[in-house]
Amino acid sequence: MSLSSNSRPLSGDVAAAQQRFLALFLRSEREIFRYVVALVPSVIEAEEIVQQTAITLWEKFDTYDPAKPFTPWACRFALNKTRQWIQRRQRWQALLAEGLAEELARRREELRPEWERRFAHLEGCVAKLPEDERAVVAGYYYRRSKIEALAGETGRTVEATYKMLQRVRRVLKHCIENAEQMGEAT
Amino acid sequence: MNMGFPSRDFDAAVAAVCHGLASDEQTRSLNERLRASPAARDEYLLRVELHARLASDPKLFFSGSTESDDAEVTSLGSRSTGNIIPLLPRASNRRQAMTWAISFAACLLIFAAGGLNWFRHHSSRRPTSIAVAVLSYAVKAQWASAADARAVGGTLEPGWLRLKSGLVQVTFYSGARMAIEGPAQVQLISPGDAFCNSGRVVAEVPPQARGFSIGSPQMKVTDLGTEFGLNVNAAATAVHVFKGNVEYQVATAMNQSLKAGEASEVDQAGVTRLIPANPDAFANLFDLQSRWQAMLAQRYEDWRTANARRNQDPSLLARFDFEEPSASGWTLHNAATDGSSVPDGTIIGCQATEGRWPGKHALAFRSPSDRVRFTVPGEFRALTFSAWVNVQGLDRQFNSLFMCDGFDSGKIHWQVCNDGSLDLGVQGPRVHDVQIFMSPAVVGFNQFGQWLHLAAVVDGEHRQMVHYVNGVAVSRHKLTLPPPYRLGAGELGNWNPGNFANKPPFLIRHFSGAMDEFSIFSRALSDAEILKLYSEGKPEPDF
Repeated sequence: MSLSSNSRPLSGDVAAAQQRFLALFLRSEREIFRYVVALVPSVIEAEEIVQQTAITLWEKFDTYDPAKPFTPWACRFALNKTRQWIQRRQRWQALLAEGLAEELARRREELRPEWERRFAHLEGCVAKLPEDERAVVAGYYYRRSKIEALAGETGRTVEATYKMLQRVRRVLKHCIENAEQMGEAT
Repeated sequence: MNMGFPSRDFDAAVAAVCHGLASDEQTRSLNERLRASPAARDEYLLRVELHARLASDPKLFFSGSTESDDAEVTSLGSRSTGNIIPLLPRASNRRQAMTWAISFAACLLIFAAGGLNWFRHHSSRRPTSIAVAVLSYAVKAQWASAADARAVGGTLEPGWLRLKSGLVQVTFYSGARMAIEGPAQVQLISPGDAFCNSGRVVAEVPPQARGFSIGSPQMKVTDLGTEFGLNVNAAATAVHVFKGNVEYQVATAMNQSLKAGEASEVDQAGVTRLIPANPDAFANLFDLQSRWQAMLAQRYEDWRTANARRNQDPSLLARFDFEEPSASGWTLHNAATDGSSVPDGTIIGCQATEGRWPGKHALAFRSPSDRVRFTVPGEFRALTFSAWVNVQGLDRQFNSLFMCDGFDSGKIHWQVCNDGSLDLGVQGPRVHDVQIFMSPAVVGFNQFGQWLHLAAVVDGEHRQMVHYVNGVAVSRHKLTLPPPYRLGAGELGNWNPGNFANKPPFLIRHFSGAMDEFSIFSRALSDAEILKLYSEGKPEPDF
């Protein structure tokens, strides 16, 4: 995805604006991505929505008030993009029907401060995973390997690999909750 | 589909949406559940957030990385001259990950999870129940297949009971009791309703269950406060009344009634024949309770014999068999013959209760202060923990089985999480070197109130940790923390934070239920040995 596809000429002002935009966007990108994932949990689809959001944000960047925080401004556009995405896809429509999308977005905002403490333990919890589990999680989430490829690499079935990811997420959730309650994981 | 929460269906649906694989049915059911339950919404958001963070934070996979967010913005900012909005994750980190992954791939070890079949069959954890009855006794019961097998003390949902031979007693939630002699096929329909396709049954119906009815291919019998027998075979159904009255209906005919001492036989053509009641034909079913008790007494004797032999195992560090309650009521005898290094335990709180068999003692843990304290000195290359427990509930986040005080280097914590998974934690030399091994959810509502054998093997030689339930491995894990492991002072059914690094208050973690045998071995028992521990200690024998 290239910003130069935009029809505006790259004058000095625009180049400076682009620098500013990128600095702000990159700082918020993860948060925007997580916001979108709360509604559309498929990582690949959420990334696509974030990409589309980035283009819109750049187009609307001149309406952004630098005195206000960037992330909430950006998340409003992300929500619109997500809505458009959902409307064209029956599966997500069924998941988020009858106001659930709005309720999840609202509740997520309430929960975020509480989460920050909890997720501070995530790095330590990932580090504690047995090597084989960490390799699969890193393969799926970081290298973005296809499940089939991961299954092949580790000699598991595709089904078993999905199950393993599900189980590791449960272990991690347990670990961060435990770490938070105990100060340290036990 | 009505999706419960928490439930395996819920877990599966959340995982499926994260993987982009949810079925229409799953998304619809999840939507309904999430709209209906604020707790489910919060849990859903937390799980999805964890998923999102794993997908968007490369730092997680580079422990010890000092890369700060600011540094990242600067380095990526310099790329902005290329006019590229980077994708997640960063391209540079992708390359970094590749080399890292290649070196990693060489040391991949695969552990297949064993015993998952058991898990599928036994752990449907439902916050709601559709059970209509409980299986009270079973004497020499042979079920038609492994899938048909039911455990004594277990709840029974509507459906078929298929008994090849032997005797069982079902107690309906209405209070009606039905003894069944195999071969028999009986369908449980509701707390007040059953259908007998074949076999011999005796129903005893207290006043509060009046109206209890049993259908058969030939007739429907409705109780009017009685004890009656039903003998159903391919040719005919006979109803014998031993006490009180029953009404029975053949096809669409008018109700007819029978009183004590009377019987009626109806053949396939619907021809009815009145005969005298014959209690002798149901003799086996009348003394079911005494047969059951005799069998338990024999089983208890067998266990005692095995126990005496077991106590002589030189690797046995501690064994509490709860056989001899001390005169003072507050010491628990270590029965291990060579267990002189481990002094008797001290009981704090706890109530005496009945164990697996009538007359067998056990200890009930109910209040947050209940615990048994004991000390196991020494260092070990491997350890096996084994316990017979009757779980009453998993009310707390952690429900202790055996926990070392504090959590110093080499120490072990063994507990049940409130989602029904078994959790064994090992502390390494540094405070961050903790390994937590969690089994799938194996203790659920269907297991509450039943005696379960739980075991955990920490094998420092082969670097593996295995969780067992009822003799079967439910999960195997790679143990990276090396021996020696230490126990020191520890507790059954509770946790003493000791000199734990963190400050109080601490989470309440007491166990809620009863324990009637607990052992620690200073070696890794094999799968076969764990299975033997289970089969020697299970409340009912195999047939």
